Amino acid sequence: MSKPNQFIRNFCIIAHIDHGKSTLADRIMELTGQVSKRDMEEQLLDSMDIERERGITIKLTPVRMFYTASDGNEYVFNLIDTPGHVDFTYEVSRSLAACEGAILIVDASQGIEAQTLANVYLALENDLEILPVINKIDLPSARPDEAKKEVEDVIGLDASYAPLVSAKEGTNIAEVLEDIVKYFPAPSGDTEAPLKALIFDSYYDNYKGVILFVRVKDGSIKVGDKIKTFQSEKVYDVVEVGVFAPGLFPKDGLFAGEVGYIAASIKSIQEVAVGDTVTNAETPALEPLPGYKKVQSVVFCGIYPLDGSKFNDLKEAILKLQLNDASLIFEPDTSVALGFGFRCGFLGLLHMEIIQERIEREFGLDIITTAPSVSYKVVKTDGEVIFVDNPSHLPPQSEIEHMEEPIVKADIYSPPDYLGQIMDLCREKRGVFKQMTYLDANRVQLEYNLPLNEIIFDFFDQIKSRTRGYASFDYELLGYEKSKLVKLDILLNGDVCDALSMIVHEDSAYSRGRMLCENLKEAIPRQLFEIPVQAAIGGKIIARETVKAVRKDVLAKCYGGDITRKKKLLEKQKEGKKRMRSIGNVEVPSEVFMQILKTNKD
Amino acid sequence: MAGIYVHIPFCKSKCSYCDFASFPDKLCFAESYMACVYREMAFRKEELKNYSFDTLYIGGGTPSIIDENYIAMLVSAARKNFNLAKDAEITIEMNPGTVSAKKIETYKKCGINRFSIGLQTAIDSQLKDLGRIHTLNEFVYCTKLLKGENFSVDVMIGLKNQTAEDVEKTIEVAAAFGASHISMYALTPEDGTPIYTDYLNGELPDSDEVAKVYEIGVKKLESLGFDRYEVSNFCKKGKESKHNLNYWQRGEYIGFGVAASSHINNVRFTNTFDLDEYFKCVLSNHLPVINSEEVGAVEREEEYIMLALRTAKGLNLKKYFELFNKNFEEEYAVALKKNAEYMQINGDYIKIKNEYLFVQNSIIVEFFK
Repeated sequence: MSKPNQFIRNFCIIAHIDHGKSTLADRIMELTGQVSKRDMEEQLLDSMDIERERGITIKLTPVRMFYTASDGNEYVFNLIDTPGHVDFTYEVSRSLAACEGAILIVDASQGIEAQTLANVYLALENDLEILPVINKIDLPSARPDEAKKEVEDVIGLDASYAPLVSAKEGTNIAEVLEDIVKYFPAPSGDTEAPLKALIFDSYYDNYKGVILFVRVKDGSIKVGDKIKTFQSEKVYDVVEVGVFAPGLFPKDGLFAGEVGYIAASIKSIQEVAVGDTVTNAETPALEPLPGYKKVQSVVFCGIYPLDGSKFNDLKEAILKLQLNDASLIFEPDTSVALGFGFRCGFLGLLHMEIIQERIEREFGLDIITTAPSVSYKVVKTDGEVIFVDNPSHLPPQSEIEHMEEPIVKADIYSPPDYLGQIMDLCREKRGVFKQMTYLDANRVQLEYNLPLNEIIFDFFDQIKSRTRGYASFDYELLGYEKSKLVKLDILLNGDVCDALSMIVHEDSAYSRGRMLCENLKEAIPRQLFEIPVQAAIGGKIIARETVKAVRKDVLAKCYGGDITRKKKLLEKQKEGKKRMRSIGNVEVPSEVFMQILKTNKD
Repeated sequence: MAGIYVHIPFCKSKCSYCDFASFPDKLCFAESYMACVYREMAFRKEELKNYSFDTLYIGGGTPSIIDENYIAMLVSAARKNFNLAKDAEITIEMNPGTVSAKKIETYKKCGINRFSIGLQTAIDSQLKDLGRIHTLNEFVYCTKLLKGENFSVDVMIGLKNQTAEDVEKTIEVAAAFGASHISMYALTPEDGTPIYTDYLNGELPDSDEVAKVYEIGVKKLESLGFDRYEVSNFCKKGKESKHNLNYWQRGEYIGFGVAASSHINNVRFTNTFDLDEYFKCVLSNHLPVINSEEVGAVEREEEYIMLALRTAKGLNLKKYFELFNKNFEEEYAVALKKNAEYMQINGDYIKIKNEYLFVQNSIIVEFFK
């Protein structure tokens, strides 16, 4: 039998990227004896290579622990680790719905960051109890009292009881454990009621099929039960249930208040939507639990195999990634320049980069990615409204009545010293100033409305470089606004290269066109003939650069002793050529398609 | 056709661009070294008894720095151990700062019939920059000693502060003093050489400038009756270096001495670059080979193409068919079509057009698998 609900605590950890979330989670696990210190790999919960290398959490990972509190009772802790990056907010909201409490980590030297704030509000919306924890008190620059005051001023939480900890050094972690028992409520829920379990995540296992991560709100579930979800009606036989120890740990059953997993021979992740409610097929609940907003892609790009014959391998790779990442959407696409590939939609730029990296690393495929785009709303002269995220699918200018572009509300947090630089940047990026709030003497919050297509290129890098990394920023989609947009084409040696086309605001078309031509001139290696690089709007050339013909490309000497070595040099040159794509008769390095926009020089 | 190469790794001082095996401070070992070279030749005698050799090339380093009698003994050792044709082309490399009438007399007597003089440039200040030990005057003296002989002159382009006129002048000087063959090659700054720092500091002319100078040099050479037969080699009619032509036809050759390379029976191998190790190997009756690689079928073909397309004549289609039992034009239809503009067919030969010889790498790699 399961423990009574009063001894269960379900909670998650909210923190800004790099404020020590995974480290604190590790310490808590260590202290509850979940893993011995010796066996611990650094940052246990981040299991993907990319997560460890970048020091970020992408997938949420639950774990169950036992803790004997000072009151003498043994408690079950279910900790759900959450991603910290803005792109993965949807994952956060999912884990929040499975918890009653949230630990808010505040960096003792940096205070509260934009992302932290956004997630705190999410947690408050979900009626979670919040326990502030001041971390990194071991740092010389730590100012715990100011951090506490900031929590009180900015969020309005009582921070007087907030534990001061150093997750890195393991200081005061025990206090956090006691506070979890003391401040977080036990889950409510009726074990006798019909089953209601919220699916907060899922992944595909090669042997067991889809594994559903659930929080049982009411009722119970055991092996052999017939279950269904509210959205699909399809009935499955439960093969295995269990908890996260971490890793799957089978049990006989799960009861109201518990967090665990269900395996029911579900073949594809698409069959069962995250956010849906699982219930018993024979004695179903009447109403589903409230779900979450459906995830929307905001950034799009084309992904093509470098080697055209690897299209099927690429398809396989994307399908496999999608098994564990329902937020990745894709459809087949063709480009004159790049051949067969896919148009993919992502939650944000980081999500896009991670998917690209995983395709290359986990599947060993070389890919070409096109510049990121957003989804534009096109109102045609015949009244039809379409959404276009691929510039080459834009209807002819004559058929367009007007276009609208997605606008975001951007919150930028910065020390006051950098206000000027930030405002300049936002102005350059067509931002509309909304308001400015002094959070305290050292922090200002700036609110701007910005077109999304201006921030998907280099906004983040620019903000960091112009404020020496002090400012942080967060955005949410507001909606669409009418805008003067044009399609900018790039011509290589006289031919339009569809993979380089983009939709830009009319006012920045000339400067963007000039910048693209300049960047392309640098990026395209000199070839045996002169290559004109032109930017054009609707057939009118607006900028031109020339890649001069190469004049020397020869091994000066090649005698007896040189032959093997010189041949290796040529082989290397050949390898370089293999990483290029022929656009007409021009050879273009594959990185160009993604990078020409990033190398924006000031 | 097959060649013999002997490497003499001694020099008076190291030139600033040199990354060859040469030891400026080891001249005292010359006698022991030459004894080892003769011995190494004897090791190979049995293995190569069915080969007939047409060329012997004594390179370096500076072969002309050691006592001329060792050179004479070397030629006779080669004749003693191998079937070296009576009329074989026997070349020695010389530094104009190390010659004397007596030396050249000895060379001629022992059968050396071709001389390769490292002039590099006729501008003394540039010679100094390169760390060359000679002056223009010494070169002139050297050519006087060689009067009536068949000799080649090395000319470098891409030097610091070098103008097209400097190159033209160097070519004129070489021609006027009787060269029958001129090698004009671009300086390649190798990592680890003193000149590499010049390169890193942007003090050397860039590739566009070198290309321009090369073109001007080619015109000058042609106007003086030197025809280009390989990208960096020019000569009066019939004066091609047979030894080097053998390399570009993927011929066989055996190398002796430190760092010498060989290509025998589709195996490429190289001797140790370390003088001490060379001595130890040879004195303990071992071959001083440090690496040896069998050339696979695909590589043989790639090597053949890469080398043949360096020559002005180009690749002999019939010979290609004989060697590889394939029709070149069918086998490489795609690459040929892609590069149609840059290549031409003359009878049995397919070649890179003259005006693209200096950008040949990107064309050649199209023929790599």
